[in-house]
Amino acid sequence: MQVFQHMAAAFYLAAGVGAMLGLTLPSQRILRGARWGLALGALAQGLAFATLHRLASAPSLTDLPQALAVMAWLGVIFTLALLSRFRLPGFVPPLAFIAFLSVFGATLSTPGLVAERDASGSIPHAHVLLASAGFAALGVAALAGFFFLLEHRALKRRRSLARRFPMPSLEALDRVNRVALVLGFPLLTLGVVTGALWMKARTGAITGGSLHEAWTVVAWFLYLGLVVLRFGRDQAPRQAAASAVAAFVFLVFAVVGVGLVS
Amino acid sequence: MKILLLGMNHRTAPVEVRERFAVAQAGPLTRKLVDRPEIGEAVLLSTCNRVEIVATAENPDAAQHVLLEFFARELAEGALPSGLSLSELTYLKHGRDAVEHVFRVASAIDSMVVGEPQILGQVKDAYRESADAGACGAVLSRLFQRAFATAKRVKNETGISQRPVSVARVAVDLAKQIFESLEDKSALLIGAGDMIEAALVALDDHGLGSRRVANRTRAHAEGLATRFGGTAHGLDELDRLLPMSDVVLSCVGGESPILTRDRIEASLSHRRGHPLFLIDIGVPRNIDPAVHEIDSAYLYDLDDLQGVAAANEEERRRESERAERIIFEEREHFDGWLVALQAVPTIRDLRRRAEQIRQAELRRYAGRLGLDPGQSEALEQLTRGIVNKIMHAPISRLRDETDREAGLARLEEARMLFALDDDADETNEIDGGSGGGMRDATRVPSDAASDAESDS
Repeated sequence: MQVFQHMAAAFYLAAGVGAMLGLTLPSQRILRGARWGLALGALAQGLAFATLHRLASAPSLTDLPQALAVMAWLGVIFTLALLSRFRLPGFVPPLAFIAFLSVFGATLSTPGLVAERDASGSIPHAHVLLASAGFAALGVAALAGFFFLLEHRALKRRRSLARRFPMPSLEALDRVNRVALVLGFPLLTLGVVTGALWMKARTGAITGGSLHEAWTVVAWFLYLGLVVLRFGRDQAPRQAAASAVAAFVFLVFAVVGVGLVS
Repeated sequence: MKILLLGMNHRTAPVEVRERFAVAQAGPLTRKLVDRPEIGEAVLLSTCNRVEIVATAENPDAAQHVLLEFFARELAEGALPSGLSLSELTYLKHGRDAVEHVFRVASAIDSMVVGEPQILGQVKDAYRESADAGACGAVLSRLFQRAFATAKRVKNETGISQRPVSVARVAVDLAKQIFESLEDKSALLIGAGDMIEAALVALDDHGLGSRRVANRTRAHAEGLATRFGGTAHGLDELDRLLPMSDVVLSCVGGESPILTRDRIEASLSHRRGHPLFLIDIGVPRNIDPAVHEIDSAYLYDLDDLQGVAAANEEERRRESERAERIIFEEREHFDGWLVALQAVPTIRDLRRRAEQIRQAELRRYAGRLGLDPGQSEALEQLTRGIVNKIMHAPISRLRDETDREAGLARLEEARMLFALDDDADETNEIDGGSGGGMRDATRVPSDAASDAESDS
């Protein structure tokens, strides 16, 4: 499993460096190579996961480094699907480096024991997978929002970024943001529900009163508001982009940051 | 075989002169040119910015006169501009310079607008016409194939053709940074002048969905709308048309802006946040600059577009330095090929000379040795093996030399050392049974010199 993880990390790193180089030169050939690197990294990571769960001493997905690796993997797969439809070369470097760091972090972390198969059954893994998928999709929405804000600012200053880097159009970024939100919010909702079920199976109550739970629920409401604004009130693309970035920062804090500061 | 090029372009001759030399059908003329004994192969390129002939010839001086005469008689049909000589209007390039020039032209480095995409197609057409007319042989075919490959490398490896430099193309480029595709977009064109038409052509090239032309004089709008498959409107319909439009392009006369901030804000309220791209190429400006402050409105005026175009042109110039390096590499490769090609006759002569000597020596000793067929065959193989082994190193060195100057010098030396240009004398010597031939060529220099003296 370690071999596949190392391979995935190497592919992601190569994809990130290649994409940076491809954007700077700029060279379409190198950018295509970077996309392949990302795809090979995702494949290697998939094989790592497949072999991981055949082991008797498999690390639990509920370990934070493992969960982050899953999130990055799902984010890469989601982005690869988007790349087949949209011109989004700027997405590859940040995503590849995030994926590299998360996979590398997972290889360094001491694996915990397999999540105990108690009354909760496979709910912990379902929770991690669903929440990770939602997290990854909303991360892509935030990335699209971030690039939208950059390009919008440049166009308003009459200094298009596309003159230096092959940037996607504002319309494409807005559509990616929209699609990612449509996908990410239901997954996040399912992640929250399975989290509550897991807690109920363990403690008998749907909430344990931890900071992580409280902040995640606030983040979920934040996203609910964002969905209502976006699809019910025709929120303008720039506001939607800014909201996606702000909401994701909040979500990252709720999922990862709270655990670190508490 | 030498390559030479005679041409005139936008730098050496004004358009009123260039148009006299322009030709529509290059094929028959190139055929006519290669029918002259001084010219081996020829390609004639005629575009609005240049007229050039690339040719091969054994004697470049004679060929140069033929090309100048061809320019004056066949292209200009004797009607040269008064007070100007052809040598002032044209440039002549030989060898490496000619090769490099062809590569630069095909790669659009030599174009009036550096990096423009049309020239490569025009060079391909010129080559095809020449090939169809039977005026293109191995050397020019190779030269033009390398020119196309060079142009492809320049396009792929540099950003020379990526940035538009005309106002209309810059506007389209900006539109593509806002919209993913123009195919489902609608443009509103306010005005019906040349600038609007140029922008419409550029937008159409990118598959614009629909177009509406609004003008004070509706009849003018109808003319443009009919040509480009749009609808014509009066300026009084602007408020109705604006919410339906994604791109607004305006170039009409008038003292005050016709599109104010309030007007645009009102139209955007119907667009559910969809962006609106406005291009104002009118002087004085037709659109209130405050429109750019609206969140989903992006307004660019003529100065902005010209600023982007100038920056792009500067960028292209920087990229052309990278292109020059590619052209240098490709020219070196082509030179290597040309030297190898020029080595072919020398290698052939060298092999023939060695074979003649071998055959002559075998004939001389065949009767004296009294060999049976088996022994004759063995001797045949033995001598052939010896000759091949001796010839292998010099032939390899002649063939593999890629540096042009060194290669040509080596060819000269080989011809001199093996006396390849003195066929008649050497053949007599070989057949005359004097024991000379190759053996003489391997003597020390002093012996060879005394032989030469005795011959004279």
